[in-house]
Amino acid sequence: MRTSTNDDMFTPDVIADPYTYYGRLREEDPVHWNEKYALWVVTSYDDVVWLTRHHELFSSAVFRNDPRPPYPDIDESDLGLYEYVRNYQADQFIQHDRPEHLEMRKVVHGYFTPKSTEAWRPFVQSAIRDLLDEAEAKGRMDVMRDFATPLPVLVIAQMMGVPRQDRPYVRHLAEKLLNIGRGERDRMRPLTEGMQGMIDYVSPLVDERIVNPGDDFISVLAQGEKAGVFTRHQVLVNTSLLLLAGHETTINLLCNGTLAFIRHPEQWEWLKQDPAGRTVRATEECLRYDAPVKSIQRIASQDVEIHGKLLRRDDRIRWFISSANRDPKAFAVPETFDVTRHPNPHVAFGSGIHHCLGASLARLEGQEAFKALAERFPKLHLETEALEYQPSITFRSLKSLPVTWN
Amino acid sequence: MARKVRVTVDHNVCVGNAMCETIAPKVFVLNAQRQSEAVDPEGDTVEKILDAAENCPVSAIIVEDAETGERLFP
Repeated sequence: MRTSTNDDMFTPDVIADPYTYYGRLREEDPVHWNEKYALWVVTSYDDVVWLTRHHELFSSAVFRNDPRPPYPDIDESDLGLYEYVRNYQADQFIQHDRPEHLEMRKVVHGYFTPKSTEAWRPFVQSAIRDLLDEAEAKGRMDVMRDFATPLPVLVIAQMMGVPRQDRPYVRHLAEKLLNIGRGERDRMRPLTEGMQGMIDYVSPLVDERIVNPGDDFISVLAQGEKAGVFTRHQVLVNTSLLLLAGHETTINLLCNGTLAFIRHPEQWEWLKQDPAGRTVRATEECLRYDAPVKSIQRIASQDVEIHGKLLRRDDRIRWFISSANRDPKAFAVPETFDVTRHPNPHVAFGSGIHHCLGASLARLEGQEAFKALAERFPKLHLETEALEYQPSITFRSLKSLPVTWN
Repeated sequence: MARKVRVTVDHNVCVGNAMCETIAPKVFVLNAQRQSEAVDPEGDTVEKILDAAENCPVSAIIVEDAETGERLFP
């Protein structure tokens, strides 16, 4: 089979256009054994939904339960650093199975319900207004640097009570953490620096919130320690996890969505006719069409057979959102960016018990951002066609997105 | 007498997050597709049902007054 001869998921063409590569896998071999990285690649919509909803078969504790070295290979001298990364990642609540996962999720779940999140809409609107005022004065912007990055950083930092002057430093640390999901042999050093930096940064904030709890999100996590659900290390790790997860994926939603609109002027026209009324469905289609997260990993908890393939206990499995969201068995004309699509049961946020905690917040930020862009910059267009993506199998991240509107 | 409610789960939207089942386990049960079914609207208190609906991450749970049809959530 053609696809099995090319199992390198980090080649420039697969990074630039994951849809062709994973789409072909979905058609030819939807449960594919990737020889190069020794893991299963699951690409069809039905299989992704089934897999994510059978958490008892597919463990999320992929670091705790996996003694093997990381893939792709790293420098041998960095294996000690990888141990640090493993222990750090293993304490994230998303890296747990039931029953622990449920107890941990319950601590944070209420803060991110659709209703709780809605209270943040005015703050998001005002942050967008300020950022776009600045951009308007310049006449151009890099959507990545000037809009998509500062907006979610402002929002999550506000939720966590991170002092305003610290936000650039938090973003600096977050960028080191983006080495998760990348392939460079020497990625462990920046990754551990980012993790250690985050722990050092949030530690005094957590200490303070344990003594003086407020209504911010770090206080919510600190309460989890008091309740005996989290250890101190888990509070620190989860604070930094949410600081990162709370903005990294939203950056991609805003950039990938903006690019999709620029590449599909008729869809942009349709949104501009009624931005407030149409931004909800438009945001869902952005999430489906060019999802912020490409793939997530699990590890088999027991032997499982799927379509005649035997996945053995402890096998690594990656499920691909970017392929499931383009599956013709789940979506009519899946390669078409159609912002009127409804219903739109995409899996950009995963599914099942691990469905993205921050989904409502990401939706809200996307809705307000696309609405504001349509209202304020109706002539939005690219300044360059030379766009590049980060070499990650986890994130679908543009490096920059320079636009203008004159 | 306590208010009676009608509870429905929109399966176009439900992602099987199962928080409803955790909060009101006598009302919400996951089916073979691992989507929530409202099996018994009288299984738990109305308060618990509303709490479950509010904690649904995708607002898939609709709660109405069984007699008047008044929408209680969302």
